[in-house]
Amino acid sequence: MAIDERLLKSVIAEVLKEMNAASAAKAEEVFVSEGMTITEIGDAPKGTNPNEVVLGLAPAFGASQTTNIVGIPHADIVKEVMAGLEEEGVACRIVKVYRTSDVSFIAHDAAELSGSGIGIGIQSKGTTVIHQKDLPPLSNLELFPQCPLIDLETYRAIGKNAARYAKGESPNPVPVRNDQMARPKFQALSAVLHIKETEHADRDKAPKALKVEFK
Amino acid sequence: MDQELLVRQIMQEVLKNMNVQSSSAACECADKVTVADYPIGENKPELIKSASGKALDELTLEGVVNGTLSAKDFRITKETLELQAQVAESAGRGFFAVNLRRAGELIPVPDARLLEIYNALRPYRSTKAELYAIGDELINEYGAVVSGNFVKEAADIYEKRNRLKK
Amino acid sequence: MRSKRFEYLDARPVNQDGYALDWPEVGFIAMNSPFDPTPSIKIENGVVVEMDGKAAADFDMLDAFIAKYAINLDFAEEAMATPSLEIARMLVDINVNRAECLKFTTAVTPAKLVEIVGCLNVLEIMMGITKMRARLKPANQCHVTNVKDNMIQIAADAAEAAVRGFAEMETTVGIVRYAPFNALAIMLGANVGRPGILTQCAVEEATELDLGMRGYTAYAETVSVYGTEDVFMDGDDTPWSKAFLASCYASRGVKMRFTSGTGSEVQMGMAEGKSMLYLEARCLGVTRGAGVQGTQNGSVSCIGVPAAVPGGIRAVAAENLIAGMLDLENASSNDQTFTHSDLRRVARSIPQFIPGTDYICSGYSATPNYDNMFAGSNWDADDYDDWVVIQRDLKVDAGLLPATEEEVVAARNKAARAIQAIFRELGLPEITDEEVEAGTYARGSQDMPDRDVVADLKAATEMLERGVTGLDFVKALYKAGFEDVAESIFNIQKAKVVGDYLHTASMLDSDFHVISAVNSPNCYEGPMTGYQISPELWEKLSNIRTAVDPSKIG
Repeated sequence: MAIDERLLKSVIAEVLKEMNAASAAKAEEVFVSEGMTITEIGDAPKGTNPNEVVLGLAPAFGASQTTNIVGIPHADIVKEVMAGLEEEGVACRIVKVYRTSDVSFIAHDAAELSGSGIGIGIQSKGTTVIHQKDLPPLSNLELFPQCPLIDLETYRAIGKNAARYAKGESPNPVPVRNDQMARPKFQALSAVLHIKETEHADRDKAPKALKVEFK
Repeated sequence: MDQELLVRQIMQEVLKNMNVQSSSAACECADKVTVADYPIGENKPELIKSASGKALDELTLEGVVNGTLSAKDFRITKETLELQAQVAESAGRGFFAVNLRRAGELIPVPDARLLEIYNALRPYRSTKAELYAIGDELINEYGAVVSGNFVKEAADIYEKRNRLKK
Repeated sequence: MRSKRFEYLDARPVNQDGYALDWPEVGFIAMNSPFDPTPSIKIENGVVVEMDGKAAADFDMLDAFIAKYAINLDFAEEAMATPSLEIARMLVDINVNRAECLKFTTAVTPAKLVEIVGCLNVLEIMMGITKMRARLKPANQCHVTNVKDNMIQIAADAAEAAVRGFAEMETTVGIVRYAPFNALAIMLGANVGRPGILTQCAVEEATELDLGMRGYTAYAETVSVYGTEDVFMDGDDTPWSKAFLASCYASRGVKMRFTSGTGSEVQMGMAEGKSMLYLEARCLGVTRGAGVQGTQNGSVSCIGVPAAVPGGIRAVAAENLIAGMLDLENASSNDQTFTHSDLRRVARSIPQFIPGTDYICSGYSATPNYDNMFAGSNWDADDYDDWVVIQRDLKVDAGLLPATEEEVVAARNKAARAIQAIFRELGLPEITDEEVEAGTYARGSQDMPDRDVVADLKAATEMLERGVTGLDFVKALYKAGFEDVAESIFNIQKAKVVGDYLHTASMLDSDFHVISAVNSPNCYEGPMTGYQISPELWEKLSNIRTAVDPSKIG
């Protein structure tokens, strides 16, 4: 029963998305990167499905930047997060946040759009936050600040945990990783990547719904 | 509209003057403390009372353990912050004294409300009218004239810099 | 074919670091950017109508705030008309005392401050810090965290750090919901090691204030300000909200300082093409304008950015000096890792270690770096003996004391038992004797057994919901037989009623006497003035555990 209902909901969501896409066809933007095509299909609506998590991507994600700081393709990152959500039977809706390049705000915006109130934000360099809409923007449920240390397995675990928060559970947080030599090696590069990401931010642009296709 | 504004301005002026008078009155009857009196807790402990009116030597470990003292007995008062502001001034730190006096005004604002007001002052959180209403609340309900006007000043700047709620 | 010399050099730690050339158009430059403004001020009827080449109508939020609140306008025209080189020379002239320097340096604009320190070489910057530091005696601060958020280890590491001489301690979290336990553990552990140590827990601003109001912390430091308006917005604040927050803390009797540092604006992508040091001078202007007593600065978590560009570490020392020039308490960073090279990390700390600042590190990692949840510190627990030996070599008091294994183990054990007891009294998840034992002898969290994290997080949240306060900690410790620790935490709550410790550069001694820039101001005026190491302290600093007594040989 539950599965049928979920199926039904996701079918409805798909139809609505397509309708949205049709109505916003003019504004459609397409970004093709290695292994992934992202199509913007109009303004992202506020969700009502309590069984969804919204994944918020930063302005340059999958567009002018296509891998994270250590070269993991953005396509693989999105795939793994989605797989983690799917394992827990939770729907994933993907949006592009433009108004800021700050990962906490991106995640918080995603959480506010999410029917469950749970969102994930990912910057192009890979930094990731799991957020809940009732928390202050610069707080979080789980924060993964050291992007060079986040591997695909961790991205999957992040998806899985976000799904469990969405279901009202209290999962064991994904183990925090710490490498004090990440800063010396990556901070300057990280700053450059962030400067370039911020060039694509637009304070007045609403979040966009995305259609993501993998090749 | 204009009349309402006028009344509001007059009220603010009156309240401001009342505040100035009351604080200058306080200063006339008591000599100002200076760096020489510092630390006040050691050199002039008799000048300090907690928010519940307890003298410093009434704040004891035994009182906490046997439950006769509670959190409200451990709150600082506006008068104490005024003393510390005087010390700061006599040490040449007028800027710090301003903060201590602004803080003194905020003592009666409940914790939860204070957190809300702080959050309302963060960017894109409030409309101009909402911030002005907070300013009035601080002035009228708590006598926090400096802080209330400070919030209104923020509202004006946020408007100019496009940082109000959208 | 490759040169074997270069092959070897490429593998050296120093070449594992990231470096970049200047890129001034986006602010990727330490100081003296061609795009930095020229100092200027115009005052009409007591109001600043132009500052650093910008008319009032064009002021952004920071300009407006600084112009209105941060500059001593009575003397501004005179100070601004004095050549920067002349003011720079005053800073290193032993015949010009601190107060006379302050008269000028507190009456100038951010661009002028940067121009003044731009005249100084790094040795002169250190001489400036020696004179402009607020408190007479330097001190040190540490980080106490671990990757598991294990509260037994936090308590034990804090107790050890107290024995080793730190005056102030800071924790943070891996998982935000652990914050109440981490705050409790560091306050308790620190005061087991040495009564009177001030503790804090770095979390999101509103949450941090909430912890302070509940009496879980004694001060706050992670109250960040930024040098451009856009980055300020990404930090989710404005100069007005931050100034209001500063007053909120004081209204609850809680000490606080702001945090800022070179490189944060570049790191956050919006430096407006200004140099890192100019933007930091604006941050310090906001700090002073907000009426805050002090700052944690020195690039802090962004140290990898200035360290990557030419002259970056000199700029970091210069920002510490500017803090002193604005009469602010200075917790001078030296915290976060920025290099693989042991040589570079020592060189980075010299400008604060030798002159001494109010808190030289902010902080020094009291755990091995793998447990440092600020992403590693420039100095960690594995360097404890290096630090005390360097103090001894140079005859410098940089805030640490040599310690013996016996006293460290005893302090750790007592702290672990105290947190076991308070958890029992407060009805929190059990701490076992095995965990107490592990905490007593641990080097880091790899030596600690895992806990039931879900149960801990649930209990931590419930503890806040139940309204447990610092006074409940006092009661619980007393009931559990730790009367002395209860009394220390009681005295910290009492300090918030008195407010003496709100003042510039305060610390508490073990009898809870306040030592600050008010009753113990820096009075350096050349050789044999200012802070001097007492014979008793020198005896302690000299007597490291690995030194042999020559009289007992042969």
